[in-house]
Amino acid sequence: MSKALLGFVLGIFITAIYIMNSAGSLMFNEIESPFGVEETAARIQANIQSLAKNGWKLSGLRNPAKAVAFDGGNVMPVLLVEACSTQYSGPILKDSNTQILSLLMPCSIAVYKKDNGKVYVGMMNSGLLGQLFGSKVGSIMKKVEADQKVFVTFDPSKPAPPLIKIKPGGGGAGGNDQGGC
Amino acid sequence: MMSIRNTLLLALCMTGTMLVTTIAGANVQPPVAADNAVAETKAVQAPIKTISTASADKEKKSNSTADHAKFKELQKDFKTGPEVTQACLECHTEAAKQVHKTKHWTWEYINPATKQKLGKKNVINNFCTSVTSNQTFCSACHVGYGWSDDNFDFTKEESVDCVVCHDTTGKYKKLPGLSGHPNYESMEWPPHSGKFREATDLTKIAQNVGKTSRKTCGACHFYGGGGNAVKHGDLDSSLVNPKHYLDVHMETEGLDFSCAKCHLSDSHQVSGSRYAPTAVDTNGVLMRGKSDGRNPTTCQACHGDRPHKAEHPKLNEHTDKIACQTCHIPEYARGPLATKMTWDWSTAGRLDENGHRVQVKGSDGRTIYDSKKGDFTYDRYVIPEYVWFNGNIKYTLFGDKVDGKDLVKINEFMGTPGAPDSRIWPVKTFRGKQPYDVANETLAIFHTAGKDDSAFWGNYDWDKAIKWGMEAAGADYSGEFKFVETEMSWPITHMVAPKEDALSCKQCHKKDGRLEGVEGVYIPGRDANPWIDKIALLIALLTLIGVLIHGAIRVYMNKRGE
Amino acid sequence: MTERIYIFKRFERFWHWSQALLIMFMMTTGFEVHGLYTLFGFENAVGFHTTAAWALITLWIFAIFWHFTTGEWKQYIPTLDKADAMLKYYLTGIFTHAEHPFRQTTLTKHNPLQRLAYLGVKLIINPLLWFSGLLYLFYSSWNAWGIGWLSLEWVATLHVIGAFMMLVFFIAHVYLATAGHTPTSHIKAMITGWEELD
Repeated sequence: MSKALLGFVLGIFITAIYIMNSAGSLMFNEIESPFGVEETAARIQANIQSLAKNGWKLSGLRNPAKAVAFDGGNVMPVLLVEACSTQYSGPILKDSNTQILSLLMPCSIAVYKKDNGKVYVGMMNSGLLGQLFGSKVGSIMKKVEADQKVFVTFDPSKPAPPLIKIKPGGGGAGGNDQGGC
Repeated sequence: MMSIRNTLLLALCMTGTMLVTTIAGANVQPPVAADNAVAETKAVQAPIKTISTASADKEKKSNSTADHAKFKELQKDFKTGPEVTQACLECHTEAAKQVHKTKHWTWEYINPATKQKLGKKNVINNFCTSVTSNQTFCSACHVGYGWSDDNFDFTKEESVDCVVCHDTTGKYKKLPGLSGHPNYESMEWPPHSGKFREATDLTKIAQNVGKTSRKTCGACHFYGGGGNAVKHGDLDSSLVNPKHYLDVHMETEGLDFSCAKCHLSDSHQVSGSRYAPTAVDTNGVLMRGKSDGRNPTTCQACHGDRPHKAEHPKLNEHTDKIACQTCHIPEYARGPLATKMTWDWSTAGRLDENGHRVQVKGSDGRTIYDSKKGDFTYDRYVIPEYVWFNGNIKYTLFGDKVDGKDLVKINEFMGTPGAPDSRIWPVKTFRGKQPYDVANETLAIFHTAGKDDSAFWGNYDWDKAIKWGMEAAGADYSGEFKFVETEMSWPITHMVAPKEDALSCKQCHKKDGRLEGVEGVYIPGRDANPWIDKIALLIALLTLIGVLIHGAIRVYMNKRGE
Repeated sequence: MTERIYIFKRFERFWHWSQALLIMFMMTTGFEVHGLYTLFGFENAVGFHTTAAWALITLWIFAIFWHFTTGEWKQYIPTLDKADAMLKYYLTGIFTHAEHPFRQTTLTKHNPLQRLAYLGVKLIINPLLWFSGLLYLFYSSWNAWGIGWLSLEWVATLHVIGAFMMLVFFIAHVYLATAGHTPTSHIKAMITGWEELD
């Protein structure tokens, strides 16, 4: 009996370690980009703008590496493309049970170069995250997830679009790609 | 009342925070500071280094004992550069003779090891390729006046350009196309831009000469390859005023080294050359007064070859295999500027439907196609390639056999993996396609710039440009050219990062790490005898399975016994 | 009624268990340095491995001293007497509760197979690990010692071979610890010093 109990506890322990190790890759998606950091970010921005019908607007472009460099350090190039759609953010912000999810706004897509010299795109796993917050948020986040797939679908035959350098935090009311959430 | 959902949310947030912290790792700071936020905090931020006197010193014009503005020789209305030089030579009587002996003047260098005739005059690279037939443009970076063709008199003293290196005003600029002269009259610059450069105030410049600086050296060396940051990757205009992250030695608020601090000069001979670099230096710190013919422009000349502190004993043990630069310049082009990585001449000459020049810009605003030059790619924070290097570089020169079958190594870093005379060095390798003469089997020399009917940049006609260039080089053009893939490398040795940003152990001590594919050295964590590992792990596994089976049988028999 | 004899003295037990911990720790860190997995991080693993090595060397100096002053080294003199019986016992008898062919005494506390195995560890695995490990550690002094011709690859490979041999010994040893007169008698003896005999 005690052996069974021990085995049970051990099983839970091992599962917990496994989940802790894999949670990161569950909550986030990472894909490799064939383009450089700037061009990848610019193509994502163009893709976001192509989904204006779903309310998407660019709300900022951040360069966290700049802050590190300012304090004297080096990190590999990284850009955060920020975008928001009030079609999705509105219902979430209206409900006091889900208001706390505003801390995930605006939607951020990271583009960064790794030590192997390759460029990657990192995104939140919106679909999975949404499922944890009931059916309403779940259905919204499912749509966000579908849109996210469009954001990172690149068409190499198209020429490289220019990078749009929007200062973050300009938005609020939206309009002219100043879509804050 | 705390709903279940709220509890769940709280738990999720905490998990999320933990996750983000874990993923972000130790050296990535939270991306909180937006550009404008950075600007706001600038004022309150304490300076990283507390050398407050440095800036005060700079307000004084110079610590020289001579104020050239008071020299009667310089109270003149100078009309041309050579006039200024004549004035300089009245006091500095030997200066021009000294300059005449330098590579900066001759653009020629005989490599003592290979006997190859190098120097800008002789080498073909894979950027703008060749000086021959293009002197009026290229000589904008010559320390002289008037080099426009092969008839230039290299013995004339007043042809030396003193101020290009000794200017302190920042107003002196030699423009391409003027054969090494600055503009003496107001002229449109850049061409067709509608902007005008004022006539150069030679008197003011002459009265304000001083020591060389990052800016004067950089006027040419930061712009190699035809533009800022283009050629070297570890040299660009961000080093005029570098921050701590970019270069720990040249940091303006810190040590504030000039180029000459390392590139010690004597009689105008500047030490440290990439035609014959010092790849290995085991002589320790170079004391004042000692020279022993050593190159003073090495890391070891100041730091010695056991530079790491006692708490990291293993680090010093690396110096027998790897150059300092390999760890301490983990990436190059770390400033805001990207360096050029490839240049494909074979696509040059494509014009729009009206027959006009085409320029295409990439996402970052840099030109990625130009009818004059072809296709380019750029990169920042570039991970160097790593090669064994003993200081010898072998060039493929004009006339050396190029048959178009193989990639042409315009220069090749020599070195023996694992040998005591070699170290693993980081290099920038620049790849391109450029024309070669098919029948004569040599890299082609072609005429790029000039106001004639053969310059490629005016006429987009390869045959004419190559014919002109080859004839200028004293060779015949067979009439047939093709493009061949070429590569050329430069040692990476500037932009030394803060020590916290040096490569970590794991970046090399793992499979597929930085030094993957570099032979001649056993790197724990990267290397293992695959057979020994496999067989040994198999034996261990079999042992484990064996004892488990043995144990299982014992348990089973025991149960049956009961 | 079980018979009990006092086999392992206090120092011996301390030596055994601290050595066991150090060896497990050194295998963990060593195989990380070898690139088999990431646990402490390469730099830490190297540091821990080196520190543990010095600890083990210190322990060994005391242990060697103890072995020679107490004469306990004689416990490892190899003998083939009853070795075949032991082998037969492990292969068959142990399953059928046959009588254990070896009776421990304070003067012969190891069965002939143990004697052989431990002697092998002491004469082959350990020297291999120590020689290659110390050479590895003093890599930068090779030239000064006049052995600059040595290849790090060979030294490292020998060290790795030693480590794998130790791993195999470790697996077998841990299992055979349950193969005494009762499954726990050896382990209890190593903890308390007293071995229970049937």
